[in-house]
Amino acid sequence: MISALYRILTIGRNTLTEAVRQKVLNVLLIFSIVLVGCSVLVSQLATPGLDSAGLFDAQIKFVKDFGCGAIGLFGFFIALLSTAQLIPQELHNRTIYTILAKPVRRSEFLLGKFLGVVLLLALCVALMSLAFAATLYWQELQGLQATKAAYTADPHWQSNPVVVNLYNHDVASIHQQTRDPQIIEAILLIFAKLIMTSAIALLISTFATSSIFTIVTTFMIYLIGHMEGTARAFWLANGAHVSLWQSGLVGFVSLLIPDMNSFTIVDEILAGNKVPWSHAFNLLGYADVYLIVLLAVSIVIFDYREI
Amino acid sequence: MNAEINGQLLWPSATRTNKLSGPSELHRRPACGGYRSQKNGSGRSLTLQNFPLGKRPAFDKISTMESSAPVAAAFAAETIGLTKRYPLTWKRKVLVALDHLDLLIKPGEVFGLLGPNGSGKSTTIKLLLGLIVPSEGEARVFGLPPDSIEARRRVGFLPENPYFYGFLNGDETLRFYGKLCGVNGPRLDQRIEELIDLVNLQNGRERPLRSYSKGMLQRIGLAQALIHDPDLLFLDEPTAGVDPLGSAQIRDLILKLKKMGKTVIFSSHLLEQVQEVADRVAIFSLGKKVLEGSLDSLLTENKGTQINLPADLSAEQQQRVLAAIGQAGIGASEGDIRFTRPHLSLEQLYLRTVQGKIGSTTQEPDRK
Repeated sequence: MISALYRILTIGRNTLTEAVRQKVLNVLLIFSIVLVGCSVLVSQLATPGLDSAGLFDAQIKFVKDFGCGAIGLFGFFIALLSTAQLIPQELHNRTIYTILAKPVRRSEFLLGKFLGVVLLLALCVALMSLAFAATLYWQELQGLQATKAAYTADPHWQSNPVVVNLYNHDVASIHQQTRDPQIIEAILLIFAKLIMTSAIALLISTFATSSIFTIVTTFMIYLIGHMEGTARAFWLANGAHVSLWQSGLVGFVSLLIPDMNSFTIVDEILAGNKVPWSHAFNLLGYADVYLIVLLAVSIVIFDYREI
Repeated sequence: MNAEINGQLLWPSATRTNKLSGPSELHRRPACGGYRSQKNGSGRSLTLQNFPLGKRPAFDKISTMESSAPVAAAFAAETIGLTKRYPLTWKRKVLVALDHLDLLIKPGEVFGLLGPNGSGKSTTIKLLLGLIVPSEGEARVFGLPPDSIEARRRVGFLPENPYFYGFLNGDETLRFYGKLCGVNGPRLDQRIEELIDLVNLQNGRERPLRSYSKGMLQRIGLAQALIHDPDLLFLDEPTAGVDPLGSAQIRDLILKLKKMGKTVIFSSHLLEQVQEVADRVAIFSLGKKVLEGSLDSLLTENKGTQINLPADLSAEQQQRVLAAIGQAGIGASEGDIRFTRPHLSLEQLYLRTVQGKIGSTTQEPDRK
């Protein structure tokens, strides 16, 4: 068991090394980091005609939206592209033969490859989150500086306790927005969604004959996964009579395709609404269950695949 | 041992070995005939008769006459009726990549698989490695199912035209494959040093594999195949695309491995090299094994007798010898005249076998 884990880890590390040494991924990563940084500049142009506090709130919201959006979008591309080429590349280069001729089970090979992608995604999300955090910190400094400048216009402001209270309130408000722990919650949920996307792509690639097929099919499943929840909510909201086959179809699709729409809770977090951690953990648990199912099916299919 | 000309007994000889069919001769028939009685290297008589398909006994039940120990353990690799078919769904046809292959390869042998492209050599290797599943028949490696972890601990594999991971350097590549085989720490460091020396790749240790020449790739491929010190080595076209010098280096490596007591099963198109290193060969055509045996037996012509005369024998002396033979009297001493059978080169044998096989078939009967 331990030796199997060691082999999975070895393959995972090798997959990560390969991805990191691929210039395409590096470019994508740098690009995403630059994009998050650019959001700062864009945010200043996006909200004209507001007072300093209102402007700051709008800027912070924009930076958060933009940052998390960029992490999700670039993470999605990294997850999709890197996973889709995992197996076809191994088959094309025949490296899979050299690995499977060693004391390595097919399931270990597949799990190792997936682990590599998960590590890569973790690395990318961590780096993008760092850039995002740096952007927020820079935004915080800007906000504090602007607030202080606004208050210090009156040289005697510190002698007025009401003004001091207002200042302290504004500073606390800035800190609250830029150091919001819910951002971590949002990033965790984005990461879980990326891993699920990767697991779907892995499943498709176990029987697909080309990377293109994997990419297109995964993208379609991703879209269906987003629409699935909306369709269900629409039916339930209308209160219309749902026939047996309709409910059967929805149930089947729900089983087959994970509900990606449930992860749009991230938008609520970014809108400033409180989302309890218990809800986030529920979603992470849901993702875990799907992950296990997707990986189990992938292993079974890959075990029977002619290579 | 006897020597003879045109069936006439001349004198007892201590060197002639191929008057009667040896083990190799027993394999000189299409493999679909199944196993025949034969002597293995240890002199034990095997009792592998023509088993009807689907009624063949399990490997561990096939025993020797003298010993109750499983025969499976006596062979490095063995196949019974091994068949691989690929259904071509859209064409409603079935491609028979390998057709009822029976092979027994002893530990320590260097066994060559010969045949044109698409004749089933690589399929045989992949089946013996458990990389693909047979449609029919069985394969065993040291008596174990080839896809078992235990079997894979004992085999190494160099695929045809290997690419490996271009982003890794030589050391990293060997380290990666070593870890997969459970070789770690100082043992792995030591093993890497040994193999780098063995394949002479000191200049490739720090270079990424993407900058390797074809010959270097083959050599690092050989090193990774040996990283866990396997007993059996599969080399699929180890000299394909390699220049003559690199090719000679790989040949020397195979000879080194042979001296180390490793079993080597390899496929190649370079017949001269096969002749230099292989103990036995099997020739494949259109998915079937059409010939198998030791090089010595296969390359000995059974028709007629060859008389080798000393090179410095004058024409007059030759005439005298021939006249003497004609009169059933011998003018020279027995040591001066050696009677041997004419030899083919392996290439001649290969071409004759393959062309004969293809020529006798009209519509590729093995591909249905």
